[in-house]
Amino acid sequence: MKLLPQGFEELETWADAWALPTQNTRWDKRLASTRTELLAFYNAVLPHLERILEHVDEYPLRKLPEQSARLFDLALMHAEIAPNVELYDGNPDVPHSFEEKRFIAVHGNDRH
Amino acid sequence: MSAAIVGERRWARTYPWLGEDPVPTEPCISEDVYRQEVEKVFKKVWLHVGRDSELPEPGCYKLKRLDFASTTVLLIRGRDGVIRAFHNTCSHRGNTVVVPEGEWDNFGQKAAFSCRFHAWTYNDRGELIGAQEETGMPPCFRKSENGLTPISCNTWEGFIFVNLDEDPSVGLHEYLGEMGEHFSGFPYNEITHNFTYYTYLNCNWKVGLDAFAEAYHVNTIHAGSFPGTFSTGLQMIKLLGDHRTTAVCFNPPKDTPPVATLAQARARGSLVNNVRETILPPTLNDESRDDYAFELSVFFPNWLLHVSEGIWFTHQFWPIGYDRCLWEGKYYVMEPTTNSEKWALEHAMVVQRNAWLEDTATMEGTFFALNSGSKKYMNLHDEEILVRHGYHVLEKYLNAENPG
Repeated sequence: MKLLPQGFEELETWADAWALPTQNTRWDKRLASTRTELLAFYNAVLPHLERILEHVDEYPLRKLPEQSARLFDLALMHAEIAPNVELYDGNPDVPHSFEEKRFIAVHGNDRH
Repeated sequence: MSAAIVGERRWARTYPWLGEDPVPTEPCISEDVYRQEVEKVFKKVWLHVGRDSELPEPGCYKLKRLDFASTTVLLIRGRDGVIRAFHNTCSHRGNTVVVPEGEWDNFGQKAAFSCRFHAWTYNDRGELIGAQEETGMPPCFRKSENGLTPISCNTWEGFIFVNLDEDPSVGLHEYLGEMGEHFSGFPYNEITHNFTYYTYLNCNWKVGLDAFAEAYHVNTIHAGSFPGTFSTGLQMIKLLGDHRTTAVCFNPPKDTPPVATLAQARARGSLVNNVRETILPPTLNDESRDDYAFELSVFFPNWLLHVSEGIWFTHQFWPIGYDRCLWEGKYYVMEPTTNSEKWALEHAMVVQRNAWLEDTATMEGTFFALNSGSKKYMNLHDEEILVRHGYHVLEKYLNAENPG
């Protein structure tokens, strides 16, 4: 059984560790990653990102089948780390910031 | 449109009555000043404590803990639709009626509010409707005189305010005055998709609030998350009674990276002014500037409201002691209609969260250093005139002869 929908086989190896369902788990994953890991994930997903967004738009909100939901989680994870790659030179932390995990996200455990 | 230039003391010349003297640091580090602030400001003025949409149905309630007053406000929407506020304190022996879970706001819905100590029970209007074995109470006891203690409560544009004074000297709308008129008519109720962050900061509440009340920090603090966006600084500053507001103007950055580009194309609201038709009421951006990004405002004493095209966001700093406060940041956008819009919103949220992480980074360090007492004054830049106005208003309240 594949984790992701047909057509996204190239991303299959990322799904298990990076398709995380909540803002808090995605946030923790970023903080626990290295610069090398973030760059590799960013570069792996980026060429497929527009196709992922087209795919998830084939379904209404909150109606994604299991594999598509996982693909969407992967895109949300990519959104979580994109600023670190595009703005902070791959630094897994937000540079010169407050202690990140002292911020409480009220929506942090919500699922899409 | 006048081409005002940053760095020519334009605001000092616009508002000469505020002066340009250094501002004392004592109000930020003095326990005595803190005690005066609690009595003369926070227990006297109207405070924003919620949004009517947080209480969508009769019986819905919100608990808002106000540490500085050692109370928890219980907001209840009654069966008549009216939102009322009470101290969450039982008329029997003063126990907490609705027991909060966790450290932050609580929300729920109840048909009646029963104290678990001895089951004294109140209705949606705060009236005492039952007590265990009532016949054992003395003859002088009247249920009708022993409801929950009410707190003055009113709403403006769907924002719920309370006033802890037993007899507020002015009503909410008079208190807001021209500031209320300035911000009326924005479609707050149509822009409802919210994300909220909060944290407890080891600093005076004003150290936190002041860091958000200027844009002089954008080029330095936000060099990471908003590189090269700040252009013409503050515009259209209006000092409206105890409150203050300004436009913040941005030049959109020239080179937007790939994911940010995809996200901005799918976002339903933006700080970058790229819309054809404005949703802003005519009072905002009344000079019709092309680089208008958002309105930054401080509602005295502790609430910042920002509005822009398709989004609005707030910050609030709640004092806990002279050296500690609660910060709440809330961001509102239009409900996403597709999954890709939801993805774009996630990106916008992450960028905003990161910017707030940059903003809050200085606050505890500033307070720690100020607390050394080594600096008696802060030297404010002309672009920090909203900060100056804040201390000016605070001084007026602290110098008031009789807090009543």
